[in-house]
Amino acid sequence: MEDGPDKSRAENFGAPLLVGTQNSDGGWGFHPSAGSRVEPTCWVLKALTALESRNGLTGQAVDRGLNFLMAAQLPDGSWPSTPEMKTGCWVTSLACWVLRDAHSEKYQIAIGNGLRWICRDWPKDSSPWRRRLRSFSRKNQHFKFADGARGWGWTPRTSSWVEPTALALLALEGQQDSVLPSSAQKRRKLGEALLYDRMCVGGGWNCGNPWVYGVPDDPLVVPTSWALLALRAHPEQRESLDSLAWLERSFGDIKAPGSLALATICLESYGRERPGNASLSEYDVENESTRNTQVAAWRALAVSDTRRWLSARAGAEVHD
Amino acid sequence: MIKTKRNRELTPSFQRPNSRVAIRRAVSYQQELGALIQETLLDFKLPVKGKTVLLKPNLVGQDPLGVVNTHPAVIAAAREAFLRLGASRVLVGDGPAMDRDTEAVLESVRLRESLGPLANVFVDLNIDDVERVSLPTYASRLKELYFPKTVLGVDLVVSMPKLKTHHWAGVTLSLKNMFGVVPGSCYGWPKNVLHWAGIDRAILDINAAVRPDFAIVDGIVGMEGNGPIQGTPKACGVLIFGDDPVAVDATCCRTMGLAPEKVKYLANAGTMLGHIKVHNIQQVGEAIAAVRSPFAVLREFEHLRPAA
Repeated sequence: MEDGPDKSRAENFGAPLLVGTQNSDGGWGFHPSAGSRVEPTCWVLKALTALESRNGLTGQAVDRGLNFLMAAQLPDGSWPSTPEMKTGCWVTSLACWVLRDAHSEKYQIAIGNGLRWICRDWPKDSSPWRRRLRSFSRKNQHFKFADGARGWGWTPRTSSWVEPTALALLALEGQQDSVLPSSAQKRRKLGEALLYDRMCVGGGWNCGNPWVYGVPDDPLVVPTSWALLALRAHPEQRESLDSLAWLERSFGDIKAPGSLALATICLESYGRERPGNASLSEYDVENESTRNTQVAAWRALAVSDTRRWLSARAGAEVHD
Repeated sequence: MIKTKRNRELTPSFQRPNSRVAIRRAVSYQQELGALIQETLLDFKLPVKGKTVLLKPNLVGQDPLGVVNTHPAVIAAAREAFLRLGASRVLVGDGPAMDRDTEAVLESVRLRESLGPLANVFVDLNIDDVERVSLPTYASRLKELYFPKTVLGVDLVVSMPKLKTHHWAGVTLSLKNMFGVVPGSCYGWPKNVLHWAGIDRAILDINAAVRPDFAIVDGIVGMEGNGPIQGTPKACGVLIFGDDPVAVDATCCRTMGLAPEKVKYLANAGTMLGHIKVHNIQQVGEAIAAVRSPFAVLREFEHLRPAA
């Protein structure tokens, strides 16, 4: 964890900023004054829990935020991007991950329903029928995917992509046995295999297309960070080492606070030093990041104790 | 006639008056583009005064070499032109498809250098507030989509693509560019649900629901071959304008040495959203023959060449 200006700024600036942008329904929007959405609500809850500054004000904000999340869950166990939508999507993983940190029995049914939805959602692109059809298609020659690897998509029953797969793996991590579906272990193995398969040449990940029409595509910071975070149980795996090396090489060129925050979190979770001098405090009031709730939350997470909030013990002592 | 969300009447093409498309030469991003764009907009007599305008460039992803996305000089010049013509507000908005860190995309495109502070100018359509829209057409199975409130709320939407080939759709121009208004926060990065619905069909549904009022295509440097990201830069030295995005795209195709009626989604758009037939499009400015510069295409799209 970084000491100094970033840390104190997160405590003095981050938590009040995040709490101050909470909507009356308990959720957060992507911007201050925007309508509540599940994704930014999850990130802010994660950040407020990680900042460990759970005084009366933040405690109330977290409770109201959790209530918003509970109300937004759909009858099939999933969460939609916005409360008006009737179909769940990848934010279900985020909601399950955040509710895990609440360490309360009252959320276990909701988590269990969410995890069951996640494990029931198989991407259609890799179904046996699709794989068979694809074997006859010329377009098949343009990709180098392992057909057997199956992760998760952004939306149900579509295609596997890197970020939703990584987030689903994180959601399945550290959950109580009682809420884990029987297929969870199998899905985790398949999901990890998919991430390794979709790695870009030389390390790192993009959205999930490492090759297009025979040409290797470049990795990006955000999906690389999430994939590495999801795979941190295998730190010695060659793909992880190559990707960490790519992230370290790229770190100095990162110009956006969101990417910088996630790369910082990722490297710290692997016990790596941040290369270069790029500091999150460079991106302050003048930058759009303070108007983007999600990025503000990532910044707060980046200056918190990463290993602790990533683990299942996050926020535990508050409720113990 | 069907009323769409933005209160535009969806009129079958055969009931539409002929369209006008202007081709202007612009050989470099360093030349004075603002005056050229303003002059062309005046020619179209667009009702701009007091209106809120959304410029929708094509910002696909990070682009350090400046060959993938609509060039910031064209975006800035268009913004300046609309403001000079009396628009009360000119926003720039897109929802990049491949990279969810829009800030990183904006930094890579160096949009701030051209537009100045982006805080009250740029709208990240991926994370804008959204509203459900029933699609007025049933080209795909989507039936409904959630669209950014900014797109639904402005008076004029201007699609500003780059002149490019596309490895799935054949070409990506002002109609395909509207994929960028579909919010990633609802549908992901990339917006894969549109691919599952069928790219060609989804293009029609989106443009029927949020049809752009005007198009300005950045063809100063386009992209040929394996576009829209990994293709080869292609200097064409043109900007192409029009108030019928279908006609604009048809003219772009002809400039690229491709037959618009062979591009599946354009052929269908030509029946319900605008004109693609030569006799329905009045060309102004440069003649197509004078600027035609055949684009290399992937083998799968060689059939898009006009018959000899």
